[in-house]
Amino acid sequence: MESPFPKSSSAPGEGRVVAKLQPEGGSALEALAYQYPLKLISPSRPAHSTKSVLVFLLSYGGGLVGGDSVSLAVDMRPGARLSMVTQGHTKVFAPATATPNLVTRQTMRAHLAPAAALCLLPDPVQPFAASVYEQTQVFRLAPDASLCLLDWVTQGRSARGEDWSFARWTGRNEVWAVTENYHRLLVRDAVILDGAQPSPPHIMPTLRESMHAMGVVGTLILRGPLVKALADFFLAEFAALPRLGSRDFRTDADARRDAAAESVSDLEKWRRTRLLTERSTRLLWSAANVRGCVVVKFGAPTVEAGRLWVGAMLAREGSVARVFGDHALMCVR
Amino acid sequence: MDSQPTADGSNDEIVGEIADLERRLAAAKAKLARPTTIDSTANPPAARVAAGKSPPPPIPNTSSSATHFLLLLADSALPLGSFAFSSGLESYLAHSKAFLAPLPRNSNSSNGSFAAFLPVSVSSYASTTLPFVLAAHRDASSFAFVSGSSPRLARLAALDDALDAAIVCTVGRRASVAQGRALLSIWERSFVGTAPAAGAAEALKPFVALLKSSSSSSSSSSSLGTDLPPPVSAHLAPLFGAICQLVGLSLEQTAYVFMLGHIKALVSAAVRAGMFGPYQAQKTLAGGTVQGLIAAMIEREWDTPVEMAGQRVPVMDLWFGRHEVLYSRIFNS
Repeated sequence: MESPFPKSSSAPGEGRVVAKLQPEGGSALEALAYQYPLKLISPSRPAHSTKSVLVFLLSYGGGLVGGDSVSLAVDMRPGARLSMVTQGHTKVFAPATATPNLVTRQTMRAHLAPAAALCLLPDPVQPFAASVYEQTQVFRLAPDASLCLLDWVTQGRSARGEDWSFARWTGRNEVWAVTENYHRLLVRDAVILDGAQPSPPHIMPTLRESMHAMGVVGTLILRGPLVKALADFFLAEFAALPRLGSRDFRTDADARRDAAAESVSDLEKWRRTRLLTERSTRLLWSAANVRGCVVVKFGAPTVEAGRLWVGAMLAREGSVARVFGDHALMCVR
Repeated sequence: MDSQPTADGSNDEIVGEIADLERRLAAAKAKLARPTTIDSTANPPAARVAAGKSPPPPIPNTSSSATHFLLLLADSALPLGSFAFSSGLESYLAHSKAFLAPLPRNSNSSNGSFAAFLPVSVSSYASTTLPFVLAAHRDASSFAFVSGSSPRLARLAALDDALDAAIVCTVGRRASVAQGRALLSIWERSFVGTAPAAGAAEALKPFVALLKSSSSSSSSSSSLGTDLPPPVSAHLAPLFGAICQLVGLSLEQTAYVFMLGHIKALVSAAVRAGMFGPYQAQKTLAGGTVQGLIAAMIEREWDTPVEMAGQRVPVMDLWFGRHEVLYSRIFNS
């Protein structure tokens, strides 16, 4: 699909998205500009019916080559709603052998005006063996702005035997509360995955060992009135997790049969099924309220287990589909 | 005790530092021993001089006072409440039992799983907190007791705030704040009168005042409709750095004692969790592994800006956060 907006003449890898609220209701793009290797596509027709305007975050050739630098600025006018997704994993290729330490960078700076809402639910980043990647995402939220952010990274091309085989991956997400009077950091979530030779050798485990058989790890950050119900849902489900170490002498099959026979609420039935899946896929997660944001961390041995879980949680609670529309969820289905 | 850990060239400096610390420890112990000798012979110093014996030890100067405080801060009896926290060890054990594949290096003995947990815990703790210790110590040195300590306060408060934004797990926040406040109490109630540096007594008063005002006004600020976090929370790492500087510890000593304190708490938790006994605990602490780990961590984080601090072991966030869902707990973290 072709973008109706002209490309800008900014620097390579730079892009800009401006979303606004239309006078007749519904969100639309005020501007969309990008430069190779970044590519932005918005298939949304400005219409009342779309709950949020959708933008695909893409790159030419389906991935970032060593040394690529992508820098995206997102501006959201008051009340605008924007969803950003990807088409498949963001692949990070290794730099050329002549320049082994060349860093591939992806930066996003988003400003959300009052009552604006941004939903960023992309596919995970898939760093290939020997790649070097740095991702920085900074979100500045005016009062009553809302953010739903998913950031996840995989072990690489597991089909090719890659298992956390990249040279380095760092991801940093910052959420700031911003008014005319103050800029206040609320959350700075940073993950450093360093594939360098461990030090001290033979004592410090390698990156692969320290990942403990996880194939994907991720973070979901939620803030603001439009995702408050979703944030509370994660906290409530975390609080409702069965106590680890308590004994259930039933087999999984018996537990399923009991669950079916018992008269329990829909939510309880759904939860029991989900917990069995969490257990069988060995998905671990936790949720915490950090300075007015809810931060959810999860890890699973396979990407699909992670995707299934995130998708099930978001779909069950329903806020994302309600606020941003179903298209916001396309990467986690 | 093996005081010569295997050192490659890059570690020489820290190995030298360790040797120096141990030399000073021995010297300090010798000094402590001397007055006892005098007491036991009940000879006043003048009589000893008259009797042609060696002169009494000199009045404590700054460096011996620093050594004295080094010993106090390294003492397990320092009432920080560290014994209440296992830094994720208890949760790791429960999860290893219930969920996780054994580590590649993991033997079946409980000692084996501690040997696997120790390096990742130390790495994770160093990468998330040590930059804050170092920064607080350096800041405190650079604002050496100017009258009106607002720059010092502003920097310490900013570090505390930045760390509060970076610990994205309920259990970790609880542990860090509990120990930070305990350390601040020790400073106020016990150390402040005898701290060697001029002006030290006043140094942390504004911080304490800010902490008290923020904990009393937290309810009123939420009633104003803003959900901003309090200005300071009193996390352990920045206060540890600042207080060590105030009692005269060098930057290297501060970092070493901080990391050793974490390891001692872990080993002590392992003993109380029944993983091994007290002799094995001391063997672990005395061993080259621990010394090599501390040296490597200090070297790795020496120049890390606090903005770049981050989690190097993502699964640690999951163990830490999921301590909440353990059926039975003997620790607070």
